[in-house]
Amino acid sequence: MLIEGLMNRGNGALLEQVVNFASQRHKLILENIANVDTPGYRQKDLSVERFSSMLRERVDQRRRTGSASFDDTGSKVEYPMRGILFHDRNNRSMEQLATDMAKNAMMHNLAIELLRKQFQQMDMALREKVV
Amino acid sequence: MFDSLDISASALLAQRTRMDTIAGNIANMNTTRNTRGEAVPYRRRFAVFASGRPDAPGKVGVSVAKIEIDRGPFRKEYQPSHPDADKEGYVSYPNVDLAVEYVNALEASRAYEANVTAMEVSKAMMNASLRLLA
Repeated sequence: MLIEGLMNRGNGALLEQVVNFASQRHKLILENIANVDTPGYRQKDLSVERFSSMLRERVDQRRRTGSASFDDTGSKVEYPMRGILFHDRNNRSMEQLATDMAKNAMMHNLAIELLRKQFQQMDMALREKVV
Repeated sequence: MFDSLDISASALLAQRTRMDTIAGNIANMNTTRNTRGEAVPYRRRFAVFASGRPDAPGKVGVSVAKIEIDRGPFRKEYQPSHPDADKEGYVSYPNVDLAVEYVNALEASRAYEANVTAMEVSKAMMNASLRLLA
């Protein structure tokens, strides 16, 4: 109960959602890259803006009411029309995919790193000694 | 998380299959006879990609739906002394265009590289996640 309280009060739940979102989005980007030569394939993506605004909403809610659930912040799959629609009806954009993948991986690793730091601090507090 | 590698792997497999058909086309670009020794020229083959994986239903990725045969016209060359020449003295050569094959090969190898890079990124992300345990 103590641990659960510790985990849910700070950024833990938030970071967990960020990691979840980033890994889901990574899978979609991988699918897009895999299908770069498939005729008629439509690029898929998750909206980062919608996710972050939803997260912000939940944080505000937690601040006001004292508790909020951070589950189910995953957005639904979108089919953005960006880049050029090629003759094989595939709207690929390799540069866009590469940038998205790099940004997304960085976001994921940042969240993981922050989580790790948090766990370390918690560990430190539990052991009552500095590692 | 671990199935993200499978997505890229399916693309590697598909691009390699495509590369195989291109290699077959280039190797056979002057083949005027079929396997039975009849004077039927080789026809260009190409891989048709489809989203999804029939071998693993429900999983995302890409797969080669089938290897199509190009029904385009043969290349005619005037060589009356050739044993496979027709009545007018023309030999039918396969409908393989080297320039087209080169461009496709380049595209396939670049797509392969892109998927390998994507796999590296997946591995880095997985490593970061696994370090949470340590």
